[in-house]
Amino acid sequence: MTRSLRESLAHRSQPILLGLGFALLVAISSGTLWLVQQTSDDAQSVIQAQENQRGLTAVLLALRRAESYQRGFLLVGQPEYEQGYRLTISSLAPILENLKALQAEGHLRESDVAEIMHLIDDKLAEMEQTIQLYSAGQTEAARGLVASGSGRDVMENLRTLIGKLSGEQRSLLNARTGDTQQSIRWLAIATVLGTIIIMLLAAASVWLLRRSNLERDEALDTLEATNANLETTIQARTADLREANEEIQRFAYIVSHDLRSPLVNIMGFTSELEAVRDAIFSKLATTPGDEAAAQENQELGRDFDEAIGFIRSATVKMDRLINAVLRLSREGRREFRPERLNLSEIVGSILGSVSHQISEVDAKITVGDLPSLTSDRLSLEQILSNLIDNALKYLQSGRQGEIEISGSVRGIYAVIQVSDNGRGIHPNDHQRVFDLFRRAGAQDRPGEGIGLAHVRALVRRLGGTLSLNSAPDEGSTFTITLPREWSAERERSAA
Amino acid sequence: MTSPVLIVMIEDDEGHARLIERNIRRAGVNNEIVPFTNGTDALKFLFGPDGSGIDHKNRALLVLLDLNLPDTTGVEILQRIKENVHLKRSPVVVLTTTDDAVEIQRCYDLGCNVYITKPVNYDNFANAIRQLGLFFQVIQVPAAT
Repeated sequence: MTRSLRESLAHRSQPILLGLGFALLVAISSGTLWLVQQTSDDAQSVIQAQENQRGLTAVLLALRRAESYQRGFLLVGQPEYEQGYRLTISSLAPILENLKALQAEGHLRESDVAEIMHLIDDKLAEMEQTIQLYSAGQTEAARGLVASGSGRDVMENLRTLIGKLSGEQRSLLNARTGDTQQSIRWLAIATVLGTIIIMLLAAASVWLLRRSNLERDEALDTLEATNANLETTIQARTADLREANEEIQRFAYIVSHDLRSPLVNIMGFTSELEAVRDAIFSKLATTPGDEAAAQENQELGRDFDEAIGFIRSATVKMDRLINAVLRLSREGRREFRPERLNLSEIVGSILGSVSHQISEVDAKITVGDLPSLTSDRLSLEQILSNLIDNALKYLQSGRQGEIEISGSVRGIYAVIQVSDNGRGIHPNDHQRVFDLFRRAGAQDRPGEGIGLAHVRALVRRLGGTLSLNSAPDEGSTFTITLPREWSAERERSAA
Repeated sequence: MTSPVLIVMIEDDEGHARLIERNIRRAGVNNEIVPFTNGTDALKFLFGPDGSGIDHKNRALLVLLDLNLPDTTGVEILQRIKENVHLKRSPVVVLTTTDDAVEIQRCYDLGCNVYITKPVNYDNFANAIRQLGLFFQVIQVPAAT
């Protein structure tokens, strides 16, 4: 009881463990997926922040370069500086475009970009003005404009603004980098933890499996032992049964045998009495002329004859019954010799031996295709001849007798049917007719009530079955099912 | 059967013994018949008090033997007769109900001279015994040596 409970617990926890492990695996996988996504987002952000920073710094750098060219030009007046200045200004355009694009994508505030643009415009205007003035020869005016510090202020404002924005981006970048690291750390922890738990689950699962395997092996061993035990028990029982059966056979033989002895005496001395009867009565009737005495003698003689008659018929009947038991017990002890049998041939020879009876009752016999089988010849001859004999014996008077013998094969069995359109058997007697010394219906035919009992005993010994299908006044069908391959082992195992 | 042959009848059923005797007599056999209903008495008679069988020296014996006896088996009596130096030539007629082939073989192997199965039907029985009686009239029985 506890054992089976524990087993069922082990069996039930197995799928739970598996389900748990699976759920955990799914959780870890989705968590990892989510974290990877997160990390990838973070990395994207970091790149973006760097881009933003670069974009902002590029503006400042370009302006500084332009300013230094401007300063150089104002200082020495060489046209190369002006050329460098122009070039730098023209290179500013894509940088500003980039800035606008970043703003359009929402990475920079519009107000900031507008402020930067404004400041750039101011600075460019200031530088352009100085260069124009210088080119026009108004060197002092140009230098004065520079000295006024308005350009420097603008530049200072711009640097401050960009510095502030760069700082923002840097802190953003740092935050994102931190997030990424945090995500990666979580990912690692989750993976390691999940792996450990899954390994634990796997270990538990393996342990449970091993235990249940062990239990199964034990159960198998027990089962094997039980089977072996059962086998020996069955063998012992079979031996017991066989012995009992043999005992019964022997008993039947001895009883019937020993019953014969007194019967011989009864019959013998009855004959002796009969032999002396006339002598006795002639002695009694010696007084001549005594009519009354002669009359009395005659009556006594009749009584005597009647008594003797009853004794005789009773002994004859008893003799027949004892003979039947003896025959049955002999049949039961007879060794079967299985051989290949051609049933059509057997039925043919049986019909030949009862041809006189057939013509007497004017019966129509039909023999269908009969299967061949390996069995005991004598037994089959007796079975079929008993059934055919019965069919002929119990035909319905006033009707053309029809008897059909047919056969078929059903798996490992051969089926033989003997059917007639005779008087039939009442359903109440279907079992009875197979009993020894029992008969059914009108007792107007000779017989001991042995044939069907004998047939059934033989069919059973041959490992088959016998069934009856019959209705009064319609006819009877006896169906025999026999194994197609009979061997002595079969009988032993069936015994 | 040359007189004086003594018929020793060993038959446990007294009715049978009587019927056998009557029917043998009807066949015209007038020899002395000594009946025994059990094996012990029969053996005592056959082999004498010393068990040697010397008592019957120069006497002709014919044994009618039933195999089913209450105290011993007819087969044992048969065996002892056939092993005895004095009695071994005395004819033994086994007259029994057993018709088992093995039993019949065994009896002949042991030296039984005739084996008859008692017919169950009385008419046949009577007839068989009468024929046996007729047979007794023609056979030669040697004297015990």
